[in-house]
Amino acid sequence: MNSDSSTDTDADADSGTDAGSSTDTTGTASASHLVEFEHVDKYFGETHVLKDVTLDVDDREVLVVIGPSGSGKSTLLRCANRLEEIQSGEIRLGGQSISASDADVNRLRQRIGMVFQSFNLFPHKSALENVTLGPRKVKGLSGEDATERARDLLERVGLAEQAESYPGQLSGGQQQRVAIARALAMDPQVMLFDEVTSALDPELVGEVLEVMRDLAEEGMTMLVVTHEMGFAREVGDRIVLMADGRLVEDTTPRRFFDQPDTERGQRFLQRLL
Amino acid sequence: MAESYSDTPTTTDESTRNRLLNDETLRRIGVAIAGLFTLAVGVFLAYIVFFRVDPALLVQVVYPQFTDAFLTVLRVVVIGSVCSVAAGVVVGLGRVSRTRFTRTVATGYIEFFRGTPLLFQLIVIFFGIPALWPPGEFPIGNFAFVAAVIGLTLNHAAYIGEAIRGGIEAVPSGQMEAARSLGLSYIQSMREVVLPQAWRNALAAIGNDQVILVKDTSLLTVIAVPELISAFRDVNSTNFDPWTPIVLVAIAYLMITIPLGKIVSYLERRADPAGRSES
Repeated sequence: MNSDSSTDTDADADSGTDAGSSTDTTGTASASHLVEFEHVDKYFGETHVLKDVTLDVDDREVLVVIGPSGSGKSTLLRCANRLEEIQSGEIRLGGQSISASDADVNRLRQRIGMVFQSFNLFPHKSALENVTLGPRKVKGLSGEDATERARDLLERVGLAEQAESYPGQLSGGQQQRVAIARALAMDPQVMLFDEVTSALDPELVGEVLEVMRDLAEEGMTMLVVTHEMGFAREVGDRIVLMADGRLVEDTTPRRFFDQPDTERGQRFLQRLL
Repeated sequence: MAESYSDTPTTTDESTRNRLLNDETLRRIGVAIAGLFTLAVGVFLAYIVFFRVDPALLVQVVYPQFTDAFLTVLRVVVIGSVCSVAAGVVVGLGRVSRTRFTRTVATGYIEFFRGTPLLFQLIVIFFGIPALWPPGEFPIGNFAFVAAVIGLTLNHAAYIGEAIRGGIEAVPSGQMEAARSLGLSYIQSMREVVLPQAWRNALAAIGNDQVILVKDTSLLTVIAVPELISAFRDVNSTNFDPWTPIVLVAIAYLMITIPLGKIVSYLERRADPAGRSES
């Protein structure tokens, strides 16, 4: 992925470095932080779902977010590409604010790939058309270029044979892999995974995690909300535990699974075992 | 259902014995009613066609008078159809707008055009609007046809708008989110992802409305459009023979509505690529 984005998408790379230098003047971002949450607060009506969340994700880092349901993990992810608005604080990608009211959301979202729990494939389009839609409409690629690239991506997620199938003809695991290919087609700098295996039958979870593991090995920056502790332990570079809208623990997988620093972490682990 | 009852023998025996009406009797009654109905209609139609329709008059009025009326209705229907569906999509998008003002205007539009009769709306357009100009200075010639298209479009756009709104709301919100997260704008997401699915959801309701639009052209007789009901009245009042033109009117309407139904079911099948309905 990284070699791709450095060669193929000069425009994106340019805007990334521009943004980086512009924030250097304000002195907020260090160059290696790709995604930054700074004192983020988020409310749903009266409910305070994210409480003063500050978190940095480095380039090429795989950050796994875990925590009990309702702790705000998914909301955190959805704020990162502004599917949800935040009430205070700031979220930046490559130093560029995505939470600012004047942020060019459509442009910034191209650099953030998102994969959803419920796949959200476009049911009226074939797997191939699902993958080509973004590149054709947003990046203005020709049909041929987009198709060629999409076929490569589908092959990479092991679905070359299913290119012409419609989502309704694919298994959940296959649909989710198409969804990953669809997100990758935009050459994102960071991928967000929102409980992407939670809606799958147990026997289909492995094929999706395998694709994600490959991505991580290729150096993709990833924010992963998951309940798959095996994946968190093996693939994660860093683990963040959320509870009641707060980050309660930020550590390495080894350390977290051996001996969590906090009492919250210990209780969470105990419940899993 | 029948099988599931017969799986429990005691209750089946019980209910068959005790009830006046069992399944087989019901089926026979149904066939009998349908048969009697067919017979009655057949006898009546045969009587009309053989004893009441005047073949000489029929040949005399079918062309050019009824052909012209039919073509007028067809023209109004085709133009009105296209315009009302296009306007209906705009109204439907207004109904789901994130801006309250736009939503309110769209809702008000629908309330008015669904809440007053089409006949009233046609009168406002055909008689009311030209009266705003000084006598003789209204600029549009053949205003009856224009007023007809405008009236049918405005009226049916309200119904189609509601159908489109329902269709859009039936598309899961994750579809818009997935499209937006790729970087597509709101308009692109609507056009490429949400509307094609909403269209499929709304198609049955839209088709239904378009059949009603065809029949609503009968109201155009009050604004002097030379359509089928007007043709009937002309023929009846000069020849004192209602049945010959009645048969022609019936055939003419069915020649539009039946193919229209076929077109709608073709569109429904085409909008449903393999496997789509499962997801």
